[in-house]
Amino acid sequence: MESLLQHLDRFSQLLAVSSTTHVSTWDPATVRRALQWARYLRHVHRRFGRHGPIRTALERRLHNQWRQEGGFGRGPVPGLANFQALGHCDVLLSLRLLENRALGDAARYHLVQQLFPGPGVRDADEETLQESLARLARRRSAVHMLRFNGYRENPNLQEDSLMKTQAELLLERLQEVGNAEAERPARFLSSLWERLPQNNFLKVIAVALLQPPLSPRPQEELEPSIHKSPGEGSQVLVHWLLGNSEVFAAFCRALPAGLLTLVTSRHPALSPVYLGLLTDWGHRLHYDLQKGIWVGTESQDVPWEELHDRFQSLCQAPPPLKDKVLTALETCKAQDGDFEVPGLSIWTDLLLALRSGAFRKRQVLGLSAGLSSV
Amino acid sequence: MAQDSVDLSCDYQFWMQKLSVWDQASTLETQQDTCLHLAQFQEFLRKMYEALKEMDSNTVIERFPTIGQLLAKACWNPFILAYDESQKILIWCLCCLINKEPQNSGQSKLNSWIQGVLSHILSALRFDKEVALFTQGLGYAPIDYYPGLLKNVTKRVNGNISRVASLSRVCVPLITLTDVDPLVEALLICHGREPQEILQPEFFEAVNEAILLKKISLPMSAVVCLWLRHLPSLEKAMLHLFEKLISSERNCLRRIECFMKDSLLPQAACHPAIFRVVDEMFRCALLETDGALEIIATIQVFTQCFVEALEKESKQQLRFALKTYFPYTSPSLGMVLLQDPQDIPRGHWLQTLKHISELLREAVEDQTHGSRGGPFESWFLFIHFGGWAEMVAEQLLMSAAEPPTALLWLLAFYYGPRDGRQQRAQTMVQVKAVLGHLLAMSRSSSLSAQDLQTVAGQGTDTDLRAPAQQLIRHLLLNFLLWAPGGHTIAWDVITLMAHTAEITHEIIGFLDQTLYRWNRLGIESPRSEKLARELLKELRTQV
Repeated sequence: MESLLQHLDRFSQLLAVSSTTHVSTWDPATVRRALQWARYLRHVHRRFGRHGPIRTALERRLHNQWRQEGGFGRGPVPGLANFQALGHCDVLLSLRLLENRALGDAARYHLVQQLFPGPGVRDADEETLQESLARLARRRSAVHMLRFNGYRENPNLQEDSLMKTQAELLLERLQEVGNAEAERPARFLSSLWERLPQNNFLKVIAVALLQPPLSPRPQEELEPSIHKSPGEGSQVLVHWLLGNSEVFAAFCRALPAGLLTLVTSRHPALSPVYLGLLTDWGHRLHYDLQKGIWVGTESQDVPWEELHDRFQSLCQAPPPLKDKVLTALETCKAQDGDFEVPGLSIWTDLLLALRSGAFRKRQVLGLSAGLSSV
Repeated sequence: MAQDSVDLSCDYQFWMQKLSVWDQASTLETQQDTCLHLAQFQEFLRKMYEALKEMDSNTVIERFPTIGQLLAKACWNPFILAYDESQKILIWCLCCLINKEPQNSGQSKLNSWIQGVLSHILSALRFDKEVALFTQGLGYAPIDYYPGLLKNVTKRVNGNISRVASLSRVCVPLITLTDVDPLVEALLICHGREPQEILQPEFFEAVNEAILLKKISLPMSAVVCLWLRHLPSLEKAMLHLFEKLISSERNCLRRIECFMKDSLLPQAACHPAIFRVVDEMFRCALLETDGALEIIATIQVFTQCFVEALEKESKQQLRFALKTYFPYTSPSLGMVLLQDPQDIPRGHWLQTLKHISELLREAVEDQTHGSRGGPFESWFLFIHFGGWAEMVAEQLLMSAAEPPTALLWLLAFYYGPRDGRQQRAQTMVQVKAVLGHLLAMSRSSSLSAQDLQTVAGQGTDTDLRAPAQQLIRHLLLNFLLWAPGGHTIAWDVITLMAHTAEITHEIIGFLDQTLYRWNRLGIESPRSEKLARELLKELRTQV
């Protein structure tokens, strides 16, 4: 067992090195050995896939490693993050070496001979690697062709296949991280928030929150999943969002109204905070008498249109969300003085706009200065 | 070898031009043209690789100075990369260009360039930077999430099939990629609103080809849709079956049954439209070969598999009326024939055969309803059902009593459908005589091959046409298998009978079919079976 773990460590180091300029010192023999190591670990993967204790031990080791060595993808290229990745560690290594320009000519030549021995190969392992690489190329083309020729772009983010895939990956990783230690997921998410492009991250979170109860990702070889119940990933996300107001504010700001409504319907825990944010935003606006519209004081204030769109979308949600929203609006209107006349309370105006169904009530009305009779 | 290399050069020019025209296959025309040529281009690549692998990098460049261009153009055509094994062969070809020890900067540059192309083929699509960073940040490499991505893309396209025509074109190279199966299935099953076909013919052809070569596995409903929507595919499937039957071992019904079930045709034929086409092709084959016994045997196996499939599908009652399958038949005749002898007590077989005979005779001799298709249609129908058709001679021999006229008629009809009434009557008389003699012989203590031959020769002075001869032969063979002393003279008799290769084959066919039938119907007679097997084995070594 110990030697197995050592092998694992050494291979991880090897993998890390394989994308650096250090490979310029490698000769054909080194390349061959590296591939042999990878092959060995693939055997390990196949052998111990169903063997609970050993698999768990290996997985834990990999998790720790991944975390420590600038894990969480802090480095430029990720290493082996879990047991599953062992299943194609040879492909990982091969691709990195192939793309590494620093590899010497003789070593590269040898690498290519090893990876692509041609037809009629005797060695079953070589054949598998060759097939895996060919299949990867084929799939790549398939995705390209289907995405660009297959369908019209759908404005719904949650149906975008790339978004969905990212969401699935996020949920899977969350489960793994959660399995390792209980408080890990929150810290993990926070670290992602700090490092990754935030806009994309928020979208992925939203899509992840809308995923149906998890079905396992298609694996090349079926493995028994040692994960706990599927809904956990979303719970973690909700919890984290609620615990990070800055993130949640960005979340609500950046995403389209319809998407937010879906998310809030699905996860009722979010609705009070969401409504709270919306009311805050509303309070920041004041009525410009001359222009006849509600405006903010600072540039980052949420404009009337966005506010209106979000409320409108929420009002189209099924109860109880819809009712909650209307109640909240009524309450705010009452607090402001319960006016019926427009221009005095933003809540009144919002309710009027929503009720009359005049969706596109715009500055046009403001042209008739003063009171506008709707 | 020299000729090969000349061919290769010609092909090279041709493909270089094609690739230039296709470019990245972004228009309808280029896509269609690419799809039409995918298989051929792959063959060319294979030939190229065979030639290249014998040379070293410098020789390659000398011999094919523009090879880099050719390969690069191929690599930038996603249809080619997505097809079958083309991406693999392209990689092999590229590897042949790599210089182990580059001597000058030119060679180094070439190496570098090849590396770039290999990267392009293998590495991930250039997604948005954000996406790439995200997946990396989570610790995933493309190989981890590609299956999942493809699945999502497929689902997405599947749930939103709009540009069906272009989608079907795009799927042509992808057909043997299992991830895309759900999409292929959806395309086959989806019903557009247009009356005319919207799927591209090359799509149908590609799917059909994959099905025939067992490179894709689709549910039966999808296969049926394919064959209903694209007749040439169904015809090709039939031809494929015929080819297989011809090239494989003749006269082995068990094997034919395997091929038959494998071909999916019997199962698909549960849909009457498909049944009719298949039946028509069988009819043509039969007419063209002038009633070859092998074709008859194949039809019988087909029908048997078909009935099995039909039963599985419809349990209690037929989904379609019998008439849709057999339009020229009276329903009563159809129902009787469709019965499996296994489901009827053995003692009733004789009666059933008589009934069949009556109904058939009525159909054949009925002058007023000429539209039924005449005697040939009736005969064609009858021969489908080998369980009954092959049983008649046996039943006649088994019954010690006076042979029933109905059965005599049936037997004569089976072997000589074209005979006129008089001719048939004559045959019936001859058969009756033979049966009489055989009965007498079976009671005697010893048999001789010569006697049997004499019996067979009864009436040979008058011109006994081939069908009648066949009939008599089969009667004799049946007798040999069943008579207590039959095994003693069996080989001698057969030697006398089988004076041509054709007749030998016929006898082999007969024995094989008999064993097959006995097995199916659970007829157990160890002695007869043993004899039949031995004879069969011996005869097979002789041809």
